[in-house]
Amino acid sequence: MSSKRILVCTRSESAGAPSVGAEEALTLGRRLASSLGVRLSWLVLGPLPDGGLETAGRFGVDDVDQIEDPRLDGFSPDASVEALAAYCQQESPALAIFSQTPDTRLVAPRLAGRLGAGVVMNTVDVVVGADGALEATASAYGGDTRVVYQLSGAPSYVVALSASAVSPEPAPDGPTSPECRTISPDLAAIEERVRVIEHARSEGPRLEEADVIVSGGRGLGSPENYKLIEQLAEALGGLAGASRPIVDEGWVDSSQQVGLTGKITRPTLYLAAGISGASQHMAGCSAAGTIVAINRDPDAAIFRYCRYGVVGDCLEILPELIRAARQ
Amino acid sequence: MRIVVCVKEVLDPDAVNNYALAGHLEIGEDGKSLTQTAIPRLMNGFDEQAVEAALRLRDAGVECQIGVVSVGPDPAANIKHAAALGADQIAAVPNAGPSPDYHLVAALLAAYVRSSGGADLVLCGRQASDDDQGVVPALVCEALGIPLVTNARAVEQVGTAFRITRVTPDGDEVVEAPAPVVVTVSNELGEPRYPTAARKIAARRMKPEIISPEALSLTDEDLRPRVVAQRQFVPTVQGSCEFLSGETPAELSQALVARLRQDGLIS
Repeated sequence: MSSKRILVCTRSESAGAPSVGAEEALTLGRRLASSLGVRLSWLVLGPLPDGGLETAGRFGVDDVDQIEDPRLDGFSPDASVEALAAYCQQESPALAIFSQTPDTRLVAPRLAGRLGAGVVMNTVDVVVGADGALEATASAYGGDTRVVYQLSGAPSYVVALSASAVSPEPAPDGPTSPECRTISPDLAAIEERVRVIEHARSEGPRLEEADVIVSGGRGLGSPENYKLIEQLAEALGGLAGASRPIVDEGWVDSSQQVGLTGKITRPTLYLAAGISGASQHMAGCSAAGTIVAINRDPDAAIFRYCRYGVVGDCLEILPELIRAARQ
Repeated sequence: MRIVVCVKEVLDPDAVNNYALAGHLEIGEDGKSLTQTAIPRLMNGFDEQAVEAALRLRDAGVECQIGVVSVGPDPAANIKHAAALGADQIAAVPNAGPSPDYHLVAALLAAYVRSSGGADLVLCGRQASDDDQGVVPALVCEALGIPLVTNARAVEQVGTAFRITRVTPDGDEVVEAPAPVVVTVSNELGEPRYPTAARKIAARRMKPEIISPEALSLTDEDLRPRVVAQRQFVPTVQGSCEFLSGETPAELSQALVARLRQDGLIS
């Protein structure tokens, strides 16, 4: 076990594009590799992001391995799992760290199943426990609690790190000079069993990339009032989001749901109106630079997460905010 | 066609959340369990939607047998609800211990599917509202060697294959998967139906098949725990919220906008 390395796995969407969450995963990987006295490897599926080797050095990666194969283009779960499994069977990492995304939510546990490894999702931290076994802390109950899991009994482990759980930090011992190796697994026999018939057509800008978001919740009272959210979002140059309860009620399309099972956003400004602050929702916006809430209840949980708060009735405050924002 | 729906009993997540919002969520002496015994247990919401997905296939005219299975410390109660919703068969795999390693749960479910004659479609909720892990469906698909489609909002049969509308960050995607396949269902599928009074009465007469884990011939590797919950805690959120002041909504709003402009967050 002491010779087994720590592995960070990322995937590049397109040539040059940085992988979401890569620096966070590398930071965690470096920390664990140093605690265990083992190497840190970075496996990239697809092309290396621009400046990838420099990033690898800065975060203390010892080896960079890259797998490029046309079968991995687009989202190809069977090929991805096969490539990852072949690599892990060859290299035997103690732990493979993924950044949690909708794609890795499928690939990471499938990889664990394929390898007979243990898996933990929604991970916010991994440390080496007192007895030398790894301990992973993950969120539960929509974020209301944290559970600490002991990882022992399986030959290897896979974890998916929640967005913004770890702050990226360059390697404390200074940069390394990793080399990049290209790996070519045999994916010839793989044919994706699931075929895309109609691709998703992303309509307009994505909440995950928005700089300013205004979200509404049950405190709006009725579906017609959601237009106040849309108007304020527009006045502030941002996008409109929603909490899950009003999506489930049908006031708003599910594509606008911000939360644990919706969009995970990281805007500079997140304004929440009529939202209680349930963990499930905060999981989708707690990475925001500044959170502002409008709620009639001064004890609403959401105020615990905010930079600025306004206690008042949304239906009275929002029209005034729209007016003030337009001036 | 045989459909197997995997369901889990969980603490009512809305009740847990209400305790959390009020600052009253507590962990007991074992360091792991929530203390509030008043919180009801019910079928995981996403799993109810998985049952609904199966029922909609039947409603669409697909000739199918719908079996619902649950693994847990006392699954029989949960399973009766599945019968009331419209399952043809119900099965329960009692598992010793309040929170089994989900690798073991997946091994039990896969073994049940194999030993009960296989399935053309295995439906699961996308995740359980207690641990939120969402890994069991993937572990089951790998154990059975069949594909996995996640976050379905609609499942239809087309010939012998399935056409599934998935929720993705970029909107809806439609995929086709051959049978057999594991499909996880998301809340975008919509409201599950309520059991009718007649079905509830009929369900009382349905006996769940109780399958002991021993009967499922798991290997030593399946039985070895790998990911074991050691403790659970409620994270404290330190607030440092500045409440803006103003006599009227207009004043409050102007104060907020001025502050946000000052901070350079809006123009």
